[in-house]
Amino acid sequence: MILLWPLGIAIFGAGVLFCLANPKAATRVALVLGVAEAAVLVEIAWQVYHRGVLTCGSYLRADGLTAFFLVNLALTTSLVLIYASGYMREAQEDRFFSPRWFYALVFLFLFTMLGVCLSSNLGLLWIMMEGTTLASALLVGFYNTEGAVEAGWKYLVVCTVGIAFALFGTIVLYLAAVRAGINPNSALDWAFLTDAVSRVTLDPHLVKLAFVFVIVGYGTKIGFVPMHSWLPDAHAEAPAPISALLSAVLLNCALYAVLRYDAIVSRVVGPAFPHHLLLGFGLLSIVVAGLLILVQRDLKRLLAYSSIEHLGIAAIGIGLGGPLGLYGALLHTFNHSMAKSLLFFGAGNVRHNCGTVRMDRLGGLARVLPQTTGILAIGGLAIVGLPPFSLFISEFAILSEAFSQSRYLVSALFLVTLSIVFGGFLHHFLGMICGEPKHVGGTARLLPSEWIVGGIAVACLLLLGIHIPHLFNSMLQQAVAVAR
Amino acid sequence: MGILETTAGKVLSSYSVFLFLTVLAQAAVRRFSTSVFLFGLQSAIIAIQVAVIGYHEKLVEAYIVAALIVVLKVLGIPYAFFRLIEKLHAPREVKTSTSAAESVFIAVGIICLSYAAVRSYASGVQAPEDGLAASVALILTGAFLMVSRKRALMQMIGLLVLENGIFLAALTTTFGMPLVIEIGIFFDVLMGLFLMGLFVFRIRDTFDHMDVSKLRKLRG
Repeated sequence: MILLWPLGIAIFGAGVLFCLANPKAATRVALVLGVAEAAVLVEIAWQVYHRGVLTCGSYLRADGLTAFFLVNLALTTSLVLIYASGYMREAQEDRFFSPRWFYALVFLFLFTMLGVCLSSNLGLLWIMMEGTTLASALLVGFYNTEGAVEAGWKYLVVCTVGIAFALFGTIVLYLAAVRAGINPNSALDWAFLTDAVSRVTLDPHLVKLAFVFVIVGYGTKIGFVPMHSWLPDAHAEAPAPISALLSAVLLNCALYAVLRYDAIVSRVVGPAFPHHLLLGFGLLSIVVAGLLILVQRDLKRLLAYSSIEHLGIAAIGIGLGGPLGLYGALLHTFNHSMAKSLLFFGAGNVRHNCGTVRMDRLGGLARVLPQTTGILAIGGLAIVGLPPFSLFISEFAILSEAFSQSRYLVSALFLVTLSIVFGGFLHHFLGMICGEPKHVGGTARLLPSEWIVGGIAVACLLLLGIHIPHLFNSMLQQAVAVAR
Repeated sequence: MGILETTAGKVLSSYSVFLFLTVLAQAAVRRFSTSVFLFGLQSAIIAIQVAVIGYHEKLVEAYIVAALIVVLKVLGIPYAFFRLIEKLHAPREVKTSTSAAESVFIAVGIICLSYAAVRSYASGVQAPEDGLAASVALILTGAFLMVSRKRALMQMIGLLVLENGIFLAALTTTFGMPLVIEIGIFFDVLMGLFLMGLFVFRIRDTFDHMDVSKLRKLRG
């Protein structure tokens, strides 16, 4: 029953917040509901940790892998809501441009992402995944400027078409399952399927076809190159808290869906086929995104391409498999969420104070906005994978897995890309932070809410980078055991 | 009952021909309203087929799905489109990047391609080859409409045609998915269209036109 709670809170929150016309009240209620939501999600993860699997009816289910993604979701969402309480304080009342629309849509978005993680039925998972696009499209177009409307339209169209391919893949897998004699009502239940494929034989051709369509479809939402075209636009034009939600939660949810299919398909046709596909998409994504990072002019677009790169790294980890590959990939999704939220919050502050995130118009931020510069610098050092931050650990795990499997081409591409990205980030960030100020800023200090989110994110990055706590590690191990 | 049985059999064996006709016509049309009408017709053909399969296989769920298609795709969505055209004062011409003749040639190519694509699978899944080919043709035509038509409204039609194709694929191979899932997918499509309609208004208000091929501010 507890699995219904987070979905209930999210949909209830969306309804209540929509009715609150007072911006201050809306912000407070959103914070309270967000904390309650996070508490329930942590409780679910705790129960899963002790009991293994939770189910509710025939459509909801949570196991170790779900729990890991839920913890990530809970933490990132809380950070986003706390940050948004400061970020939205100057939003005017407009038809769509008001805090109540903002928060109501955020909770609706949250509802669909929770649905993706909690559903035990691949059809329901698809419905929820399409729901994430629908709930967030208006948030992407929230500012209603030319760029925002274009980004919103592009996001809606590209992701709907991409997701349509995933529906086709889902149907093909359903067909394979039904033809193998599985009862149509449980043929889309992933837990049942993962278990049943050892007893019945599914047509391997159909299963491969299904996986190709699914990885293209959900890969569009992960932002794999070449289906990534919506991602930089959406991340750059959305309000900063939404960029953080898209990058740190939505992309992970899509990766979670691919992991579920991967578990089924690996059992039917062997791990080589799905893992090679994931490796291919991952490598293509990191190389292309890594090169594009060099030529970016807009800070938020830079961060968006970095998200493509990091999800590519996670895909490489899953594709390599082995004892460290999957472990590193899952750890990497968590680390990336923390570092990327931090960076988007920094970018949001820059836009707030300087009125632009075009990097050629920014300079000397260290003098104008010393505290925000601190956030950007720490986030930047973390995202390029320098120790003592935790992205170093996860990238190192994936890299050592690649070396231990003697995949020298993968390792070489990986290392070269990381160096290129390191150079690109250093160049862009130094250009922004150092030199003479080009803007006279507004408020130069961080708000208390921003201190809190910055502190939590940096603490997570440092803690996991220096020593992974036992509890977190065993949750991660449970997730790896499920996904393998 | 003999006549009903025969009719049902005939419908099942010939509906794909009508669907191919709508594909060809869809490629050739110059007026937006004709395109909407063709989409409605296409959905009607699919609805009839769902009902016939329901009759054939004695599935009550199929009748519900058929009714949903009629209400939503044959009546609801085309009606909404006509209202939208009125409200937007949109130009009635379809702006394309390929000429009508070229589009028809491409549509013919798509139909040939779909037969080639399903040949190896049709025998394996024991589904009617024509039906599978029709569904693939619809998916490809939808994608083609989305890339070649410049106005936002026609891209929505392209998406709907693509969705019809996927629905048909599910129908011909497995007699459709479980009802709950089917309804959820319908709901998503409807919400997606609603949102796209909302965005079309915003595009018109912000840019003063609806030619999405001219939305090129965001690059790289």
